[in-house]
Amino acid sequence: MSILANKDTYVVIQGGVAGVNAARRMAEFCYLIKRSLNVLAFVYPPDAGKTHEIPYGSGLVAVPIYKTVAEATKHHPQINTSLVYIGADRAMKGGMEALDDTHIKVVSMITEGVPEKDAKILGAHARKLGKVFNGPSSIGIVSAGSCRLGVIGGAFDNLVLSKLYREGSFGVITKSGGLSNEIIWICSQFADGITTAIGIGGDAYPGTDYVSYLEMFENDPQTKAVIIVGEMGGDLEERAAEWYGAKKRRVKLMAVVSGFCQESLPKGMKFGHAGAKEGLKGEGSARSKSDALKKSGAIVPATFGALGPAIKDVYQDMLKSGQVKEPVEPASLPKLPKSIEAAMKADEVVVTPLIRTTISDDRGDEPCYDGYPASELINKGYEIPHVVGLLWDKRLISKQEAEIIKRIMMLSADHGPCVSGALGTIIAACAGIGLSQSVAAGLIMIGPRFGGAVTDAGRFFKHAVDNKMTVDEFLTYMKKNHGPVPGIGHRVKSLRNPDKRVKELVGYVKSLPIKTPCLDFALQVEQVTAAKKDNLILNVDGTMAAVLVDIGFPVDSLNGFFILSRTIGLIGHWVDQKRQDSRLIRLFDYLVNYAAPKRREVPPLK
Amino acid sequence: MAKVLEGPGMGLMKKWGINVPNYVVVTSVDELTKLGQANEWLKKSKLVAKAHEALGSRFKLGLVKVDLDFKAAEAATKEMIGRQVGSITVTQVIVSEMIAHKEEYYCAVKSTREGSEILVANCGGIEVESNWERVKRLCLEIGQAPSAEALEKLSKEAGFAGPLTKKMAEFAGKMFACFDSEDAQYLEVNPVVTRASDGELVALDAVTLLDGDAKFRHPDWNFAFAAEFGRAYSKQEEEVMAVDSKIKGSVKFIEIPGGDTAMLPAGGGASVYYSDAVVARGGKLANYAEYSGDPPDWAVEVLTEKVCSLPGIKNIIVGGAIANFTDVVKTFGGIINGFRKAKAEGKLKGVKIWVRRGGPREKEGLDAMRALKDEGFDISVFDRNTPLTDIVDKALQAK
Repeated sequence: MSILANKDTYVVIQGGVAGVNAARRMAEFCYLIKRSLNVLAFVYPPDAGKTHEIPYGSGLVAVPIYKTVAEATKHHPQINTSLVYIGADRAMKGGMEALDDTHIKVVSMITEGVPEKDAKILGAHARKLGKVFNGPSSIGIVSAGSCRLGVIGGAFDNLVLSKLYREGSFGVITKSGGLSNEIIWICSQFADGITTAIGIGGDAYPGTDYVSYLEMFENDPQTKAVIIVGEMGGDLEERAAEWYGAKKRRVKLMAVVSGFCQESLPKGMKFGHAGAKEGLKGEGSARSKSDALKKSGAIVPATFGALGPAIKDVYQDMLKSGQVKEPVEPASLPKLPKSIEAAMKADEVVVTPLIRTTISDDRGDEPCYDGYPASELINKGYEIPHVVGLLWDKRLISKQEAEIIKRIMMLSADHGPCVSGALGTIIAACAGIGLSQSVAAGLIMIGPRFGGAVTDAGRFFKHAVDNKMTVDEFLTYMKKNHGPVPGIGHRVKSLRNPDKRVKELVGYVKSLPIKTPCLDFALQVEQVTAAKKDNLILNVDGTMAAVLVDIGFPVDSLNGFFILSRTIGLIGHWVDQKRQDSRLIRLFDYLVNYAAPKRREVPPLK
Repeated sequence: MAKVLEGPGMGLMKKWGINVPNYVVVTSVDELTKLGQANEWLKKSKLVAKAHEALGSRFKLGLVKVDLDFKAAEAATKEMIGRQVGSITVTQVIVSEMIAHKEEYYCAVKSTREGSEILVANCGGIEVESNWERVKRLCLEIGQAPSAEALEKLSKEAGFAGPLTKKMAEFAGKMFACFDSEDAQYLEVNPVVTRASDGELVALDAVTLLDGDAKFRHPDWNFAFAAEFGRAYSKQEEEVMAVDSKIKGSVKFIEIPGGDTAMLPAGGGASVYYSDAVVARGGKLANYAEYSGDPPDWAVEVLTEKVCSLPGIKNIIVGGAIANFTDVVKTFGGIINGFRKAKAEGKLKGVKIWVRRGGPREKEGLDAMRALKDEGFDISVFDRNTPLTDIVDKALQAK
């Protein structure tokens, strides 16, 4: 047996994240005692209609979320208990809603910082209805072997260590949430464990006091002794003493009270929970409480540390008198399935990774590019081209190579609004589309006819150089298999009107002491093609391609240089249109050659 | 529990129709001089000047001056502002009208488990203390307001007679209205006096304790709460409070000058048992502290730094029960960072650290603490098998 919470307790949790965490902990307990999950519903209006997936063993239980307590109990009439995790400013409303529901008999409020007035109103309302309002600031309630409400009991291994999977003989009532586990643990080490442990919360006016629970324990034959963990402030301990001393009780009462330190502290200094405050006349001090309890016949150890041995003595007496028998431990207990991470750490599973990466890792305190921490690269004078080198080609490029890349990027950042890419972005910007989509609209244009010739040009020049082709062999090969040479030819520029950017780049690269077989070959090709037709010059794509291949970048990454640098321009165009608050644009009719059939009559449908 | 100084306390009473003397709260003499030009009563009435700070026994400290004219009030203000009393600097002075009166009475409303209690006595001032049996009470359930009849009955019981009976009953009714509407926990007026000029009851002094947790529904609470120890909060305490107000969970820190045993325990309940254990063993607490509710590691780190900076400490008690959901690895991570920082700043010389804890991921957390030995910390680490407060015994027995 137990009190308040048992095998027939079914729960609705009111509140958000904290409530879901509690449900997970409760599921662990249910799994340990081989009981199905006792959380049947959540009430959280913002997420009404959805479900929370609560892990149970190695599976998941979908627990529905409702808008109101009434809806939850209508769908799950076996619900009889509510746990309130709603914020302090709305907790009273939520608590009232639960108390007023005919299905619900017990409400435990976990919320901290609830105004005293609200707690009093809730407590009075519950008493009027003959229901239990536990808390606020309750850590929860746990009945060994049958039911856990809230996170009381801690992690799964603690549930097992504290033998919460089966009943003992001790009842526990604490104000402190943190100490509830401590006492449960002590009871399992010095005696046979607990029946039910209740956190009533450390507020000044908790909804339920020690006495109401002492009455319940008195009527639970399984509970042979009750331990109260009290603290200074209020008069709950005195009332418990009064109850215990009033007549012969079946249960033994044991208690400790904290707050003796107050006697030697500066006056008015207040510690601990909200309720831990002395009355103005010194009532409610630790000493007066512990004296009252002693006088009533309760066992009151001098310190918290002496509680364990005192519990042991009480338990040994019970064993001797035959009141209790040594508990029988189960042969085996369910083990909580490990998370993948924990199992991997323990070398228990092999996982086949879904993806493999060889360039970067941000699992530490900062991203590493090919193993080099980003902040170190910054502090040692490296620049953007080096990052490109690390992420695209997994190597630290030289200062010279970085300079070449920087110049390439600066030269191809933007080519005005008329080219396909910029036009695409501008049209999107004028249509009110966001930055990333508009830039993407421009980037989509990059391909075989616009800007995308870099990769192809690089591939063919490299092919020619690798195969030691002559220019004539190369041109024949291209004509036969692929058509025009990518990287050769320009719509506007020609021999007489050379492309300044190409001259710049070629000039700079040739001034460096590096080998440039591809560039040299491309320039030879240009001599032949430009002689045939004035505008078949080596264009900027071809130049970039040849140079990048010469400094060792893989052919497949070459278009990336254009995409990367042109993105700068596309962003610029989007911002530019945005700044001007440009209107939606429509193509003018006169720019269209309407070659569709003239208007005609639609024939009858056959 | 939040203490409110006299000025804002009087303001709340005025809001609920209770007569209070005219008063102003000033931070400088110039302010008072300006107010004197704007408010005739300052020039006309006899005045009282009091230091407007959370200080006990202001009278003895010479921080209450009575029977002043405006010039004398200015002089008193000048003298009080900037005065150091212990750790408190007087920054505000409340100057109020002195009410001529003969009789003094007492009225208070206090919180009880069932609701509240109205207390009335027909004596006041220090006389109440020695005649506590003359205080009569009216108990009210939560949600219940006192009827006019019940208040009159209380007034009669307390020995009021004639027209004063009704006046005191009404005064007590207003006190209740103020108490109930303002989420007060304690409201005391001592003395209540009869104003010689018009025979009305006036509140001469207010003790106001409000429920800080109810601040969310009182947008007009525009005053700061005062410390309750008869001293101001230190800079370190305020910094921890600022962190506390920003986080999930809590961190708390109160300094106790002159102690040598520093506290860094987890849990509002366990922390007091740890403090008790220190006192019971004849140790001297250097502070109170606690962290709970799974606070972020950085918050615990701030708390740790404050604890390590306490002067003259010999031991640090990093105690804790078996946590329900506070992650031991994470919170210990904050403590370890704080320790390392303190050590790098040359603190913790000769300081012994004592650790005991259980809870989620306890083994990893305790292992991380143990590893501090290799960094030269004098640290002893115990798990759940060592009873809660035994580390205090070990610390105070260690030589």
